[in-house]
Amino acid sequence: MDDLKLLRDLGAELEHRPPATLARQRNRLLTERPRRRRIGWFVTALAAVATAIAVAVPTLVLSGHETVPPPVGARPPKVTGAMNILLVGTDSQAGTPRFRTGARSDTIMLVHLPADRKQITAIAVPRDSMVQIPRCGSAPPRRDMINSAFDKGGLTCTVKTIETLTDVRIDHTMEFDFAAFKEVVDALGGVEILIRKPIDDPKAKLKLPAGKVLLDGEKALGYMRLRNHGDGSDVQRIKRQMTLLLAMLRKGQSLLDEPGRLRGFLATATRSVKTDPAFDLETMTALAMTMDQPAGFVSITVPWKPDPRDPNRVVWKQPEAGELFERFR
Amino acid sequence: MITQPATRGPDADLVRASWTQPEAFAELFDRYSAMLYRYVSKRLGPEPAEDLVGETFLVAFSRRRSYDLSYTDARPWLFGILTKLLSRHHRSEAARYRALLRAPVDGHVDSPAERVASGVSAQAVRPELVGALAALPAKDRDVLLLVAWGDLTYVEVAQALGIPVGTVRSRLNRGRRKVRAALGDTNPLQEEA
Repeated sequence: MDDLKLLRDLGAELEHRPPATLARQRNRLLTERPRRRRIGWFVTALAAVATAIAVAVPTLVLSGHETVPPPVGARPPKVTGAMNILLVGTDSQAGTPRFRTGARSDTIMLVHLPADRKQITAIAVPRDSMVQIPRCGSAPPRRDMINSAFDKGGLTCTVKTIETLTDVRIDHTMEFDFAAFKEVVDALGGVEILIRKPIDDPKAKLKLPAGKVLLDGEKALGYMRLRNHGDGSDVQRIKRQMTLLLAMLRKGQSLLDEPGRLRGFLATATRSVKTDPAFDLETMTALAMTMDQPAGFVSITVPWKPDPRDPNRVVWKQPEAGELFERFR
Repeated sequence: MITQPATRGPDADLVRASWTQPEAFAELFDRYSAMLYRYVSKRLGPEPAEDLVGETFLVAFSRRRSYDLSYTDARPWLFGILTKLLSRHHRSEAARYRALLRAPVDGHVDSPAERVASGVSAQAVRPELVGALAALPAKDRDVLLLVAWGDLTYVEVAQALGIPVGTVRSRLNRGRRKVRAALGDTNPLQEEA
Protein backbone atom coordinates (compact mmCIF):
# COMPACT_ATOMS: atom_id res chain seq x y z
CA MET A 1 0.00 0.00 0.00
CA ASP A 2 1.24 3.42 -0.95
CA ASP A 3 2.12 5.88 1.78
CA LEU A 4 0.00 8.68 0.32
CA LYS A 5 -2.96 6.33 0.18
CA LEU A 6 -2.39 5.42 3.83
CA LEU A 7 -2.22 9.09 4.72
CA ARG A 8 -5.44 9.77 2.83
CA ASP A 9 -7.14 6.95 4.72
CA LEU A 10 -5.86 8.35 8.00
CA GLY A 11 -7.26 11.72 6.98
CA ALA A 12 -10.63 10.15 6.26
CA GLU A 13 -10.62 8.60 9.73
CA LEU A 14 -9.76 11.89 11.41
CA GLU A 15 -12.15 13.96 9.35
CA HIS A 16 -15.25 15.56 10.81
CA ARG A 17 -18.31 16.62 8.90
CA PRO A 18 -18.98 20.34 8.82
CA PRO A 19 -21.62 21.10 11.47
CA ALA A 20 -24.68 23.23 10.77
CA THR A 21 -23.18 25.89 12.99
CA LEU A 22 -20.57 26.56 10.33
CA ALA A 23 -23.16 28.86 8.79
CA ARG A 24 -22.50 31.25 11.67
CA GLN A 25 -19.11 31.89 10.14
CA ARG A 26 -20.83 32.94 6.94
CA ASN A 27 -22.88 35.49 8.87
CA ARG A 28 -19.70 36.67 10.50
CA LEU A 29 -18.43 37.45 7.04
CA LEU A 30 -21.51 39.46 6.17
CA THR A 31 -22.14 41.23 9.44
CA GLU A 32 -18.85 41.52 11.23
CA ARG A 33 -16.80 43.04 8.52
CA PRO A 34 -15.84 46.04 10.63
CA ARG A 35 -14.60 43.68 13.31
CA ARG A 36 -12.07 42.32 10.92
CA ARG A 37 -10.68 45.79 10.56
CA ARG A 38 -10.55 46.11 14.29
CA ILE A 39 -8.68 42.84 14.59
CA GLY A 40 -6.23 44.21 12.08
CA TRP A 41 -6.05 47.43 13.98
CA PHE A 42 -5.61 45.87 17.33
CA VAL A 43 -2.49 44.14 16.17
CA THR A 44 -1.26 47.25 14.40
CA ALA A 45 -2.08 49.37 17.39
CA LEU A 46 -0.33 46.93 19.68
CA ALA A 47 2.73 46.95 17.47
CA ALA A 48 2.47 50.71 17.24
CA VAL A 49 2.20 51.14 20.99
CA ALA A 50 5.12 48.81 21.56
CA THR A 51 7.21 50.56 18.92
CA ALA A 52 6.18 54.02 19.97
CA ILE A 53 7.28 53.11 23.43
CA ALA A 54 10.41 51.47 22.12
CA VAL A 55 11.31 54.57 20.20
CA ALA A 56 9.97 57.29 22.40
CA VAL A 57 11.73 56.16 25.52
CA PRO A 58 15.29 56.00 24.22
CA THR A 59 14.62 59.14 22.18
CA LEU A 60 14.00 60.98 25.36
CA VAL A 61 16.68 59.09 27.22
CA LEU A 62 19.18 60.37 24.74
CA SER A 63 17.83 63.78 24.00
CA GLY A 64 17.87 65.11 27.53
CA HIS A 65 15.20 67.72 27.94
CA GLU A 66 14.63 69.09 24.49
CA THR A 67 11.19 70.46 23.94
CA VAL A 68 8.87 69.16 21.32
CA PRO A 69 6.18 71.74 20.57
CA PRO A 70 2.81 70.92 22.13
CA PRO A 71 -0.04 69.99 19.82
CA VAL A 72 -1.96 72.66 18.02
CA GLY A 73 -5.74 72.59 17.89
CA ALA A 74 -8.26 70.75 20.01
CA ARG A 75 -6.99 69.38 23.28
CA PRO A 76 -8.13 66.03 24.65
CA PRO A 77 -11.06 66.58 26.96
CA LYS A 78 -10.91 65.49 30.55
CA VAL A 79 -12.69 62.14 30.60
CA THR A 80 -12.99 59.10 32.75
CA GLY A 81 -11.86 55.78 31.32
CA ALA A 82 -8.55 57.38 30.50
CA MET A 83 -5.36 55.53 31.26
CA ASN A 84 -1.97 56.76 32.39
CA ILE A 85 1.16 54.71 31.95
CA LEU A 86 4.49 55.69 33.45
CA LEU A 87 7.49 54.81 31.31
CA VAL A 88 10.90 54.80 32.83
CA GLY A 89 13.92 54.53 30.57
CA THR A 90 17.09 53.58 32.39
CA ASP A 91 20.68 53.83 31.31
CA SER A 92 21.29 50.35 32.63
CA GLN A 93 23.81 48.61 30.41
CA ALA A 94 23.96 45.43 32.41
CA GLY A 95 25.30 42.59 30.34
CA THR A 96 27.10 44.83 27.85
CA PRO A 97 30.84 45.62 27.75
CA ARG A 98 29.99 49.14 28.76
CA PHE A 99 28.47 47.90 31.99
CA ARG A 100 28.32 50.46 34.73
CA THR A 101 26.76 49.83 38.09
CA GLY A 102 23.33 51.09 38.90
CA ALA A 103 20.65 52.46 36.67
CA ARG A 104 19.38 55.97 36.55
CA SER A 105 15.96 56.80 35.32
CA ASP A 106 17.24 58.95 32.51
CA THR A 107 13.80 59.25 31.12
CA ILE A 108 10.55 59.56 32.92
CA MET A 109 7.59 59.78 30.68
CA LEU A 110 3.91 59.80 31.36
CA VAL A 111 1.84 58.30 28.57
CA HIS A 112 -1.76 59.30 28.57
CA LEU A 113 -4.49 57.47 26.68
CA PRO A 114 -7.78 59.35 26.73
CA ALA A 115 -11.00 57.37 27.02
CA ASP A 116 -11.68 57.72 23.29
CA ARG A 117 -8.12 56.46 22.60
CA LYS A 118 -7.80 58.85 19.69
CA GLN A 119 -4.50 60.39 20.65
CA ILE A 120 -1.61 59.07 22.67
CA THR A 121 0.12 61.86 24.55
CA ALA A 122 3.54 61.35 26.04
CA ILE A 123 4.75 63.89 28.58
CA ALA A 124 8.47 63.85 29.14
CA VAL A 125 9.65 64.81 32.58
CA PRO A 126 13.13 66.38 32.46
CA ARG A 127 15.39 64.12 34.43
CA ASP A 128 17.15 66.97 36.19
CA SER A 129 13.91 68.45 37.52
CA MET A 130 14.38 69.50 41.13
CA VAL A 131 11.28 68.30 42.96
CA GLN A 132 10.01 67.39 46.38
CA ILE A 133 10.43 63.64 46.78
CA PRO A 134 8.13 62.02 49.35
CA ARG A 135 9.23 59.49 51.94
CA CYS A 136 10.06 56.18 50.28
CA GLY A 137 10.98 53.32 52.59
CA SER A 138 13.83 54.49 54.78
CA ALA A 139 14.71 57.49 52.60
CA PRO A 140 13.35 60.69 54.16
CA PRO A 141 11.38 63.23 52.15
CA ARG A 142 13.72 65.73 50.49
CA ARG A 143 14.18 68.18 47.64
CA ASP A 144 16.25 66.43 44.99
CA MET A 145 16.54 65.59 41.30
CA ILE A 146 13.60 63.52 40.17
CA ASN A 147 15.71 60.67 38.86
CA SER A 148 17.23 60.14 42.29
CA ALA A 149 13.85 58.74 43.30
CA PHE A 150 14.51 55.78 41.00
CA ASP A 151 18.11 55.36 42.09
CA LYS A 152 17.20 55.26 45.79
CA GLY A 153 13.71 53.81 45.85
CA GLY A 154 13.19 52.13 42.48
CA LEU A 155 10.15 52.34 40.31
CA THR A 156 7.74 52.39 43.24
CA CYS A 157 9.27 55.55 44.60
CA THR A 158 9.21 57.14 41.15
CA VAL A 159 5.50 56.37 40.85
CA LYS A 160 4.86 57.79 44.33
CA THR A 161 6.84 60.94 43.50
CA ILE A 162 5.02 61.53 40.23
CA GLU A 163 1.65 60.89 41.81
CA THR A 164 2.23 63.40 44.63
CA LEU A 165 3.64 65.99 42.23
CA THR A 166 0.99 65.79 39.57
CA ASP A 167 -2.02 64.34 41.33
CA VAL A 168 -2.38 62.03 38.30
CA ARG A 169 -3.14 58.42 39.04
CA ILE A 170 -0.62 56.04 37.44
CA ASP A 171 -2.39 52.94 36.19
CA HIS A 172 0.57 51.03 34.83
CA THR A 173 4.34 51.20 34.63
CA MET A 174 6.97 50.10 32.13
CA GLU A 175 10.72 50.03 32.47
CA PHE A 176 13.03 50.04 29.51
CA ASP A 177 16.77 50.10 28.73
CA PHE A 178 19.10 50.27 25.70
CA ALA A 179 19.28 46.50 25.40
CA ALA A 180 15.49 46.31 25.22
CA PHE A 181 15.39 48.81 22.36
CA LYS A 182 17.93 46.79 20.43
CA GLU A 183 16.02 43.57 21.06
CA VAL A 184 12.80 45.10 19.82
CA VAL A 185 14.41 46.26 16.57
CA ASP A 186 16.06 42.88 16.08
CA ALA A 187 12.78 41.13 16.76
CA LEU A 188 11.28 43.22 13.99
CA GLY A 189 13.97 41.82 11.73
CA GLY A 190 15.66 45.21 11.47
CA VAL A 191 14.28 48.40 9.99
CA GLU A 192 14.93 49.86 6.58
CA ILE A 193 15.61 53.55 6.19
CA LEU A 194 16.85 55.83 3.44
CA ILE A 195 20.08 57.67 4.19
CA ARG A 196 20.92 60.69 2.05
CA LYS A 197 24.49 61.31 3.08
CA PRO A 198 26.93 58.60 4.17
CA ILE A 199 27.39 58.51 7.94
CA ASP A 200 30.69 58.00 9.73
CA ASP A 201 30.46 58.98 13.33
CA PRO A 202 32.84 57.40 15.83
CA LYS A 203 30.89 58.86 18.76
CA ALA A 204 27.73 56.99 17.85
CA LYS A 205 29.93 54.09 16.62
CA LEU A 206 28.09 54.24 13.34
CA LYS A 207 29.25 53.96 9.75
CA LEU A 208 26.62 53.71 7.04
CA PRO A 209 26.62 54.20 3.26
CA ALA A 210 24.09 56.44 1.55
CA GLY A 211 20.96 54.82 0.15
CA LYS A 212 18.55 52.25 1.51
CA VAL A 213 20.03 50.55 4.53
CA LEU A 214 18.70 47.81 6.76
CA LEU A 215 19.54 48.65 10.37
CA ASP A 216 19.80 45.97 13.02
CA GLY A 217 19.19 46.80 16.69
CA GLU A 218 22.73 47.96 17.37
CA LYS A 219 22.86 50.23 14.31
CA ALA A 220 19.36 51.56 14.93
CA LEU A 221 20.42 52.52 18.42
CA GLY A 222 23.49 54.25 16.96
CA TYR A 223 21.30 56.07 14.45
CA MET A 224 19.03 57.08 17.27
CA ARG A 225 21.90 58.54 19.27
CA LEU A 226 23.58 60.15 16.27
CA ARG A 227 24.30 63.83 16.84
CA ASN A 228 27.09 64.96 14.49
CA HIS A 229 25.30 64.60 11.20
CA GLY A 230 23.67 67.03 8.80
CA ASP A 231 23.70 70.46 10.38
CA GLY A 232 24.08 68.79 13.77
CA SER A 233 20.89 70.37 15.06
CA ASP A 234 18.46 68.68 17.38
CA VAL A 235 15.64 69.48 15.01
CA GLN A 236 17.27 67.25 12.40
CA ARG A 237 17.95 64.65 15.02
CA ILE A 238 14.32 64.52 16.04
CA LYS A 239 13.41 64.22 12.36
CA ARG A 240 15.75 61.23 12.02
CA GLN A 241 14.16 59.66 15.04
CA MET A 242 10.71 60.16 13.57
CA THR A 243 11.90 58.52 10.34
CA LEU A 244 13.10 55.59 12.36
CA LEU A 245 9.80 55.40 14.22
CA LEU A 246 7.85 55.36 10.96
CA ALA A 247 10.10 52.67 9.54
CA MET A 248 9.49 50.59 12.66
CA LEU A 249 5.74 51.06 12.39
CA ARG A 250 5.80 50.00 8.75
CA LYS A 251 7.79 46.93 9.65
CA GLY A 252 5.40 46.19 12.49
CA GLN A 253 2.48 46.38 10.08
CA SER A 254 4.15 44.06 7.60
CA LEU A 255 4.26 41.45 10.37
CA LEU A 256 0.47 41.33 10.33
CA ASP A 257 0.64 38.85 7.50
CA GLU A 258 2.96 36.59 9.41
CA PRO A 259 1.28 35.54 12.63
CA GLY A 260 4.23 33.42 13.65
CA ARG A 261 6.75 36.23 13.44
CA LEU A 262 4.35 38.74 14.90
CA ARG A 263 3.91 36.61 17.96
CA GLY A 264 7.68 36.35 18.29
CA PHE A 265 7.99 40.10 18.07
CA LEU A 266 5.35 40.74 20.69
CA ALA A 267 6.88 38.15 22.96
CA THR A 268 10.24 39.93 22.67
CA ALA A 269 8.68 43.34 23.14
CA THR A 270 6.95 42.24 26.29
CA ARG A 271 9.97 40.33 27.56
CA SER A 272 12.42 43.16 27.02
CA VAL A 273 10.22 45.73 28.66
CA LYS A 274 9.61 45.36 32.37
CA THR A 275 6.09 46.17 33.43
CA ASP A 276 4.05 46.11 36.59
CA PRO A 277 2.62 42.63 37.14
CA ALA A 278 -0.90 43.67 36.15
CA PHE A 279 0.25 45.05 32.78
CA ASP A 280 0.66 41.80 30.93
CA LEU A 281 0.26 40.96 27.26
CA GLU A 282 -3.42 40.30 27.81
CA THR A 283 -4.04 43.73 29.34
CA MET A 284 -2.01 45.37 26.58
CA THR A 285 -4.02 43.49 23.99
CA ALA A 286 -7.28 44.55 25.64
CA LEU A 287 -5.99 48.09 25.74
CA ALA A 288 -4.94 48.03 22.13
CA MET A 289 -8.30 46.57 21.17
CA THR A 290 -9.99 49.70 22.42
CA MET A 291 -8.16 51.57 19.67
CA ASP A 292 -10.09 50.88 16.51
CA GLN A 293 -8.39 53.54 14.48
CA PRO A 294 -4.89 54.89 14.07
CA ALA A 295 -4.08 56.84 17.19
CA GLY A 296 -2.11 60.05 16.94
CA PHE A 297 1.10 60.31 18.89
CA VAL A 298 2.17 63.58 20.46
CA SER A 299 5.04 64.19 22.75
CA ILE A 300 5.34 67.15 25.11
CA THR A 301 7.90 68.07 27.72
CA VAL A 302 6.80 69.33 31.12
CA PRO A 303 7.17 73.13 30.97
CA TRP A 304 10.34 74.01 32.81
CA LYS A 305 12.73 76.86 33.64
CA PRO A 306 16.24 76.92 35.09
CA ASP A 307 16.38 76.32 38.82
CA PRO A 308 17.06 79.71 40.48
CA ARG A 309 19.28 77.93 43.00
CA ASP A 310 21.33 75.99 40.42
CA PRO A 311 21.38 76.88 36.72
CA ASN A 312 22.32 73.29 35.87
CA ARG A 313 19.01 72.05 37.19
CA VAL A 314 15.47 72.82 36.15
CA VAL A 315 12.25 73.38 37.99
CA TRP A 316 8.76 72.97 36.61
CA LYS A 317 7.20 76.17 35.37
CA GLN A 318 3.96 76.89 37.17
CA PRO A 319 1.10 77.24 36.57
CA GLU A 320 1.74 75.72 33.09
CA ALA A 321 2.92 72.34 34.41
CA GLY A 322 -0.02 72.07 36.78
CA GLU A 323 -2.44 72.90 33.98
CA LEU A 324 -0.84 70.29 31.75
CA PHE A 325 -1.27 67.51 34.28
CA GLU A 326 -4.78 68.62 35.12
CA ARG A 327 -5.78 67.42 31.68
CA PHE A 328 -4.65 63.91 32.50
CA ARG A 329 -6.40 63.34 35.80
CA MET B 1 -35.69 22.44 -20.00
CA ILE B 2 -37.50 25.40 -18.49
CA THR B 3 -35.34 26.31 -15.57
CA GLN B 4 -31.70 26.06 -16.24
CA PRO B 5 -29.64 25.53 -13.11
CA ALA B 6 -27.47 28.54 -12.42
CA THR B 7 -24.20 27.86 -14.10
CA ARG B 8 -21.28 27.96 -11.81
CA GLY B 9 -18.88 30.62 -12.99
CA PRO B 10 -15.21 30.65 -12.15
CA ASP B 11 -14.22 31.77 -8.65
CA ALA B 12 -12.32 34.70 -10.09
CA ASP B 13 -15.61 36.19 -11.35
CA LEU B 14 -17.04 35.98 -7.84
CA VAL B 15 -14.03 37.67 -6.34
CA ARG B 16 -14.20 40.39 -8.94
CA ALA B 17 -17.93 40.86 -8.32
CA SER B 18 -17.26 41.18 -4.60
CA TRP B 19 -15.12 44.25 -5.25
CA THR B 20 -18.28 46.20 -5.92
CA GLN B 21 -20.86 43.92 -4.26
CA PRO B 22 -19.36 42.51 -1.06
CA GLU B 23 -22.29 40.06 -0.70
CA ALA B 24 -20.97 38.12 -3.68
CA PHE B 25 -18.16 36.89 -1.49
CA ALA B 26 -20.60 34.81 0.55
CA GLU B 27 -21.01 32.56 -2.48
CA LEU B 28 -17.34 31.70 -2.21
CA PHE B 29 -17.98 30.69 1.38
CA ASP B 30 -20.80 28.40 0.28
CA ARG B 31 -18.54 26.78 -2.25
CA TYR B 32 -15.53 26.07 -0.11
CA SER B 33 -16.24 26.40 3.61
CA ALA B 34 -17.15 22.72 3.99
CA MET B 35 -14.02 21.62 2.14
CA LEU B 36 -11.80 23.83 4.30
CA TYR B 37 -13.60 22.64 7.42
CA ARG B 38 -12.91 19.01 6.61
CA TYR B 39 -9.27 19.79 5.99
CA VAL B 40 -8.82 21.63 9.30
CA SER B 41 -10.73 18.97 11.20
CA LYS B 42 -8.20 16.41 10.01
CA ARG B 43 -5.26 18.48 11.15
CA LEU B 44 -6.57 20.10 14.32
CA GLY B 45 -9.81 18.38 15.21
CA PRO B 46 -13.32 19.83 15.06
CA GLU B 47 -13.11 22.40 17.87
CA PRO B 48 -10.86 25.04 16.32
CA ALA B 49 -11.94 24.22 12.76
CA GLU B 50 -15.08 26.31 12.68
CA ASP B 51 -13.38 29.46 13.84
CA LEU B 52 -10.37 28.97 11.59
CA VAL B 53 -12.58 28.59 8.54
CA GLY B 54 -14.42 31.77 9.47
CA GLU B 55 -11.13 33.57 9.96
CA THR B 56 -9.80 32.33 6.64
CA PHE B 57 -12.74 33.85 4.82
CA LEU B 58 -12.48 37.09 6.76
CA VAL B 59 -8.83 37.44 5.81
CA ALA B 60 -9.62 36.47 2.22
CA PHE B 61 -12.41 39.02 2.13
CA SER B 62 -10.16 41.79 3.36
CA ARG B 63 -7.63 40.92 0.67
CA ARG B 64 -10.07 40.33 -2.15
CA ARG B 65 -8.80 43.33 -4.06
CA SER B 66 -5.31 41.91 -4.31
CA TYR B 67 -6.60 38.61 -5.71
CA ASP B 68 -4.98 37.71 -9.02
CA LEU B 69 -7.94 37.28 -11.36
CA SER B 70 -5.93 35.12 -13.74
CA TYR B 71 -6.39 32.28 -11.24
CA THR B 72 -9.88 31.08 -11.96
CA ASP B 73 -9.84 28.61 -9.06
CA ALA B 74 -9.72 30.27 -5.63
CA ARG B 75 -8.86 27.12 -3.71
CA PRO B 76 -5.07 27.58 -3.68
CA TRP B 77 -5.56 31.14 -2.47
CA LEU B 78 -7.88 30.06 0.35
CA PHE B 79 -5.64 27.14 1.32
CA GLY B 80 -2.68 29.53 1.36
CA ILE B 81 -4.43 31.83 3.82
CA LEU B 82 -5.58 28.88 5.88
CA THR B 83 -2.06 27.46 6.00
CA LYS B 84 -0.73 30.72 7.40
CA LEU B 85 -3.44 30.77 10.03
CA LEU B 86 -2.70 27.13 10.83
CA SER B 87 0.92 28.00 11.51
CA ARG B 88 -0.24 29.45 14.83
CA HIS B 89 -1.44 26.01 15.78
CA HIS B 90 1.55 23.89 14.83
CA ARG B 91 2.21 23.00 18.40
CA SER B 92 -1.30 21.91 19.19
CA GLU B 93 -1.35 20.01 15.91
CA ALA B 94 1.74 18.02 16.85
CA ALA B 95 0.27 17.49 20.32
CA ARG B 96 -2.88 16.11 18.73
CA TYR B 97 -0.92 13.60 16.67
CA ARG B 98 1.01 12.55 19.73
CA ALA B 99 -2.25 12.10 21.63
CA LEU B 100 -3.51 9.88 18.80
CA LEU B 101 -0.25 8.00 19.11
CA ARG B 102 -0.97 7.20 22.73
CA ALA B 103 -4.53 6.12 22.01
CA PRO B 104 -4.92 2.40 22.66
CA VAL B 105 -3.95 0.11 19.83
CA ASP B 106 -5.12 -3.45 19.62
CA GLY B 107 -2.75 -6.21 20.59
CA HIS B 108 -0.87 -6.59 17.32
CA VAL B 109 2.59 -7.96 17.71
CA ASP B 110 3.48 -7.84 14.03
CA SER B 111 6.00 -5.29 12.90
CA PRO B 112 4.49 -2.36 11.02
CA ALA B 113 6.18 -3.67 7.88
CA GLU B 114 4.27 -6.92 8.06
CA ARG B 115 1.02 -5.14 8.71
CA VAL B 116 1.49 -2.92 5.69
CA ALA B 117 2.67 -5.76 3.52
CA SER B 118 -0.38 -7.78 4.39
CA GLY B 119 -2.49 -4.89 3.19
CA VAL B 120 -3.87 -3.71 6.50
CA SER B 121 -5.68 -0.43 6.77
CA ALA B 122 -4.29 2.91 7.85
CA GLN B 123 -5.93 2.24 11.19
CA ALA B 124 -3.50 -0.54 11.89
CA VAL B 125 -0.48 1.62 11.23
CA ARG B 126 -1.98 4.73 12.77
CA PRO B 127 0.69 5.04 15.51
CA GLU B 128 3.44 5.05 12.90
CA LEU B 129 1.61 7.53 10.66
CA VAL B 130 0.70 10.05 13.33
CA GLY B 131 4.14 9.67 14.91
CA ALA B 132 5.74 10.54 11.59
CA LEU B 133 3.39 13.52 11.08
CA ALA B 134 4.12 14.86 14.55
CA ALA B 135 7.85 14.68 13.88
CA LEU B 136 7.75 16.41 10.47
CA PRO B 137 8.98 19.99 10.19
CA ALA B 138 6.00 22.32 9.77
CA LYS B 139 6.90 23.29 6.19
CA ASP B 140 7.15 19.71 4.98
CA ARG B 141 3.96 18.80 6.81
CA ASP B 142 2.09 21.69 5.20
CA VAL B 143 3.04 20.50 1.72
CA LEU B 144 2.44 16.83 2.40
CA LEU B 145 -0.98 17.42 3.89
CA LEU B 146 -2.08 19.95 1.28
CA VAL B 147 -1.50 17.17 -1.24
CA ALA B 148 -2.79 14.21 0.79
CA TRP B 149 -5.63 15.88 2.67
CA GLY B 150 -6.29 19.08 0.73
CA ASP B 151 -6.25 17.32 -2.67
CA LEU B 152 -4.22 20.10 -4.25
CA THR B 153 -1.91 19.44 -7.16
CA TYR B 154 1.78 20.34 -6.96
CA VAL B 155 1.16 23.50 -8.94
CA GLU B 156 -1.73 24.47 -6.69
CA VAL B 157 0.35 23.90 -3.57
CA ALA B 158 3.06 26.10 -5.09
CA GLN B 159 0.46 28.84 -5.69
CA ALA B 160 -0.99 28.46 -2.20
CA LEU B 161 2.35 28.75 -0.44
CA GLY B 162 3.99 31.13 -2.88
CA ILE B 163 6.94 28.78 -3.47
CA PRO B 164 8.38 27.21 -6.64
CA VAL B 165 6.97 23.87 -7.78
CA GLY B 166 10.44 22.34 -7.39
CA THR B 167 10.36 23.24 -3.72
CA VAL B 168 6.94 21.62 -3.40
CA ARG B 169 8.35 18.43 -4.90
CA SER B 170 11.40 18.34 -2.65
CA ARG B 171 9.37 19.03 0.49
CA LEU B 172 6.82 16.43 -0.49
CA ASN B 173 9.50 13.84 -1.20
CA ARG B 174 11.20 14.55 2.09
CA GLY B 175 7.91 14.25 3.95
CA ARG B 176 6.94 11.04 2.21
CA ARG B 177 10.36 9.54 2.78
CA LYS B 178 10.01 10.11 6.51
CA VAL B 179 6.52 8.63 6.56
CA ARG B 180 7.80 5.57 4.70
CA ALA B 181 10.74 5.27 7.06
CA ALA B 182 8.30 5.27 9.97
CA LEU B 183 6.34 2.53 8.26
CA GLY B 184 9.47 0.45 7.98
CA ASP B 185 10.25 1.42 4.39
CA THR B 186 8.06 -1.22 2.85
CA ASN B 187 6.44 0.62 0.02
CA PRO B 188 5.45 -2.30 -2.18
CA LEU B 189 5.64 -0.08 -5.24
CA GLN B 190 9.27 0.56 -4.49
CA GLU B 191 9.99 -3.07 -3.84
CA GLU B 192 8.47 -4.11 -7.10
CA ALA B 193 10.51 -1.60 -8.99
